[in-house]
Amino acid sequence: MAAVFVVVLMSAVLGLRAQEEMEICGLCPGNVRNSSQVTYLCSETSGAELVGRCCVKPSGGDIIGLDLWNCSISLLDPGLRLTAAILVLDISQNPLQDLRQEFFQGLTGLRYLALPGNISCPGGNQAWASVESELDSRICQDQQSACNRTGDIAVLCPENSLCAPDGPGYTQCVCADGFSGYKCLREGSFPLLVFFGILASVTVTLSVLLWCTQRKKVKSL
Amino acid sequence: MSKVKMSKDICYSLLHASRKAFSNVKVSISNQWTPSSLNASSSIVDPNSTWNGNHLFPDADSATIFLGLLDTIFLFSYAVGLFISGIIGDRLNMRYVLTFGMCSSAVTMFVFGTLTEWLHFYNKLFYCFMWVINGLLQSTGWPCVVAVMGNWFGKSGRGLVFGLWSACASVGNILGAFLASSVLKYGYEYAFLVTACVQFAGGVIIFFGLVTSPKELGLPDTGEEEGAFGDQEEEANRPLISEDNEVDSDASYSVQAPDTDSTPKAIGFVQACCLPGVLLYSLAYACLKLVNYSFFFWLPFYLSTTFHWKEAEADQLSIWYDIGGIIGGTIQGFISDLMQKRSPVLAISLVCAIGSLFGYSRSPNNKPLNAFIMTITGFFIGGPSNMISSAISADLGRQEMVRGSSEALATVTGIVDGTGSMGAALGQVLVSVIQEGLSWMWVFYFFILMTFLTLLFIIPLIIRELRPVWGNRRMSRLAG
Repeated sequence: MAAVFVVVLMSAVLGLRAQEEMEICGLCPGNVRNSSQVTYLCSETSGAELVGRCCVKPSGGDIIGLDLWNCSISLLDPGLRLTAAILVLDISQNPLQDLRQEFFQGLTGLRYLALPGNISCPGGNQAWASVESELDSRICQDQQSACNRTGDIAVLCPENSLCAPDGPGYTQCVCADGFSGYKCLREGSFPLLVFFGILASVTVTLSVLLWCTQRKKVKSL
Repeated sequence: MSKVKMSKDICYSLLHASRKAFSNVKVSISNQWTPSSLNASSSIVDPNSTWNGNHLFPDADSATIFLGLLDTIFLFSYAVGLFISGIIGDRLNMRYVLTFGMCSSAVTMFVFGTLTEWLHFYNKLFYCFMWVINGLLQSTGWPCVVAVMGNWFGKSGRGLVFGLWSACASVGNILGAFLASSVLKYGYEYAFLVTACVQFAGGVIIFFGLVTSPKELGLPDTGEEEGAFGDQEEEANRPLISEDNEVDSDASYSVQAPDTDSTPKAIGFVQACCLPGVLLYSLAYACLKLVNYSFFFWLPFYLSTTFHWKEAEADQLSIWYDIGGIIGGTIQGFISDLMQKRSPVLAISLVCAIGSLFGYSRSPNNKPLNAFIMTITGFFIGGPSNMISSAISADLGRQEMVRGSSEALATVTGIVDGTGSMGAALGQVLVSVIQEGLSWMWVFYFFILMTFLTLLFIIPLIIRELRPVWGNRRMSRLAG
């Protein structure tokens, strides 16, 4: 019962999120240019389709490509929520002045990013395998994990956790295999059934045994 | 009868197990209550929900202070609870009181450690509140268990039996440590869950298995005539008791009207305080338990700060103090049984305790030697401490003045142990203050002073106990 409820609730939340994401696709008038990387991505990926300015994977409705080329965006709306599923993002040809680093946190899948020429790649050049500066755009390609970067301050993760990339220039510490919970302190899952089974049977046996050997003889005073 | 003893053993070890569990999960709890403190200056570890989600305490130090505060709160409420539960234990059926105490304190443990974690409800005041309740409920254990033991074992065998039995507390400590450490990896909430459930089960078993007094089986009251229930299945305890019984049979107080039919009336609190010896032993125990508990709680810390030994090593080493206490309690209890006198044994042991404390404070940085002196200190401090809290309490509650006419056993035990726990609680505070303000050496001087005070409180009792011996050596049981 509870499980059904949770499933219903989750699908409702997901549906809501998907709808919210889809609004991004209509943010800008017109369709994706034919020369855009997003078009290319969509034709490469099976099952993906172009919706407005987006390339969407139907399963779950995740946006995997977004082309906001020439959209007169002067500020990246923090409300513009993208997921780790996004692979290609094009925001070149926009009057952006600066870029908020935090916008890219969590976009671990991003492998192609086109920016206006005046803006440098998020996370610095070392966060990307190749950075190309063209006439009025800058293209950052293939994220490099900040975890095994040399020279820089090595990212140290606490016990039971491993470093994992978390978008360009970002790292996170993810619980190692088998660990979970706050600070990854918990290992495995407690065998509740076994424990209560043993405890209950021992309790009942001892109680019956003691009752028969001890208290049966008790005279009520 | 061995089964009766067993069920009481289970009960008390389980209570101790749950207490020890708390001290073992402290590190995990303080981890849970604080955000990550990986060099606050450098990077913040992401994701936030996993590493910095809990801000109950800013860092591990303040969490440790709070946990220490919880310990002190527990001791105080435990001390207050002892006075109350002793009175209740004498008035109601002790089986119900024990069952209620164990089960309800198991529930508070569950709420404290498991439920709050499952609901992600972290609140300092709530923790304090639950721990106070837990202290009050746990205090039902000791007076009732001592009273039940006192009902079953006569005065002559008490010293040895109680001495051996005090090992249960240590068995409980080991059990608690084992239970907690084996499930700690699943999360500290499971350590609480397991100890709480086992304690609850123990309460249920007590309910079905405990016979609080031989009278319940229609057997004569013990006090003196242990031989009366020789028909019961008995194993190891039997010969010891009957042996002592012969020595005891000519004791003057053994003549007593059979009171199987009368329902005894419980003694009042003030009345119990006025019983000869109760007040003095209470004060003596307050001083002695202060030293004993402080040793118990602070020893690992002292070792790891003074000698820079690893905490786990210090923990393991400090078990020797416990072992010394058990051996001391048993041997001294046995000697006092033979002598039929307890206070002289106490006094000699306490004089030695002052010496061994002095010696321990000068112990070199050498583990075997330190463990050896520690064991000796445990022998001379833990031994008398165990004896006062159990055998002597039982003697006091069943002395001639109250024999037959009233139930005083649990009340007296409650008073003695309650005063003692007050001392212990105060000691926790004082030791930390002295240690911070002065040095560890002063802590030892403080311990020596307290042991000396204990000795002072015992002296009038020795005079009282030995006067008849001097007066009439023919009656002395030593002659037997």
